[in-house]
Amino acid sequence: MTRKGLLKSIAAPLLLLLAWATIVPALAVPERYLPALGPILQNARAVSGELLASVAHTGWEAVLGFLLAIVFGVVWGILFAKVGWLERSLFPIFVALQTIPVVAFGAIVVIWFGNTLMAKVFISFFLAFFPIAVSTLHGMRMGDRQRIDLFRSFGASQAKVFRLVELPTALPAIMVGLKTGLSLALVGAIVGEWFGDTVGLGVMLLQALYVEDVLRVWVLIIATGLLGSLLYGLVSLCERKFVWWRIE
Amino acid sequence: MSMMPAAPSGQPLIELVNLSKRFGEGANQVVAVKGVNMSLQKGEFVTLIGPSGSGKSTLFNMIAGLLPPDADGGIVFAGREQRHGELLGKVSFMPQRDLLLPWRTVLDNAIVALEVEGMRKKDARDKARALFAEFGLAGFEGKYPHELSGGMRQRVALMRTFLFERDLILLDEPFGALDALTRSLMQRWLLDIWAHHKRTVLFITHDIDEAIFMGDKVAVMSTRPGTIKYSENIDLPRPREAAVATTPAFSAIKKRLLAVVEEESLKSFEGSGK
Repeated sequence: MTRKGLLKSIAAPLLLLLAWATIVPALAVPERYLPALGPILQNARAVSGELLASVAHTGWEAVLGFLLAIVFGVVWGILFAKVGWLERSLFPIFVALQTIPVVAFGAIVVIWFGNTLMAKVFISFFLAFFPIAVSTLHGMRMGDRQRIDLFRSFGASQAKVFRLVELPTALPAIMVGLKTGLSLALVGAIVGEWFGDTVGLGVMLLQALYVEDVLRVWVLIIATGLLGSLLYGLVSLCERKFVWWRIE
Repeated sequence: MSMMPAAPSGQPLIELVNLSKRFGEGANQVVAVKGVNMSLQKGEFVTLIGPSGSGKSTLFNMIAGLLPPDADGGIVFAGREQRHGELLGKVSFMPQRDLLLPWRTVLDNAIVALEVEGMRKKDARDKARALFAEFGLAGFEGKYPHELSGGMRQRVALMRTFLFERDLILLDEPFGALDALTRSLMQRWLLDIWAHHKRTVLFITHDIDEAIFMGDKVAVMSTRPGTIKYSENIDLPRPREAAVATTPAFSAIKKRLLAVVEEESLKSFEGSGK
């Protein structure tokens, strides 16, 4: 990214923070609706140790779930694209699974895995999997018939056509799925903690809600936002470096 | 099906025997190609003129091995009749669009066919590098396709085709999308390359001048069903300069071809009005 581009992308968040820091105290907005930035930061400092541990804990769950979702999502997306009957028979089931409220599903997962890390990873994986599988399927469908035919005329096997043409064609679409899946993986990790844990952003959020600690809720909203932006930034960086081409 | 064995002397490199392709069944059946008979001698440059919708691309896809011909005809290649799929990997095929891979550099686009064949990437690159000057692409090895002009992209696609060293090269309107000036430069350049590399070429175009200027033989296809309507040997001396197009001999050939092509175009025009 150029310096100018970097400046542009951080200018808006900075302005927003500035507006928050000045307008909220100036208008004396009640804390119940929107607290001022200063007290929020003080509140964060008071629990900084627990907050950092929670960010790391929840981030780890989300990253593990996300990585699992990439592996399974991409593989299933390719299988759906390559094996017609598999898509026709299993895809509707996958769609139906997606409509199950994660809160109902979470209870079952905790019964399966107990109160373990795996339970959160699984919920995170479950949410992120679908968009990745769908975008992989979409990307595989973008393969240009004529381009594939050209490679067949060179005598290329199916495996070579896949490696040299179809996969690189699908990658930009897969990256779109990864970006959608990533935020869902984070949601999954947080919601997963609601079913029982001792550390994590989800745990802190639930505790803050019980005692109506408005400042703490805002601290957690900001922390989650920062964690999400960090992970999103990493995925974007990978995309810029490895999947920079667009399919016309 | 019975087929005359090819004569041992002067055996053609490829022979199309009663080649047909029908799509669909019954009343909806479309006959794209019907009873095409044609042969190419080794080293020959044959041009094929056809109005749009004459089944040229269907014909090419069959010769490239991508599409099976109907059972009442076939393709004999190097003296042996080819079953479906057997021609894959034997013919160097260049479709109308350049179909370059946007994620690969010019150099790596040029070597894809060699890579498919299993050549080591380093060896393939060395081999390709030697051709860059001849193809007018020196200095562009590391560029990506989107950084090139249309004429250059086409030259990269041609280099990819020539690097896939097969006796028969199929070119489907390679210069169709280029402006007139670039086109005439590319025509002479391709003839030089052809003379140098000694390949057999089947070249599709809808430009009569191009067909006469390039070919040892010109064949005209009819509109659907596509069949060879007329063919003529072009005895203009080689190497050919651009000025050959102003000679009486050239004009006489052009006049005969125009008459045939016009009749075909008119037929398709009337046909579409129905």
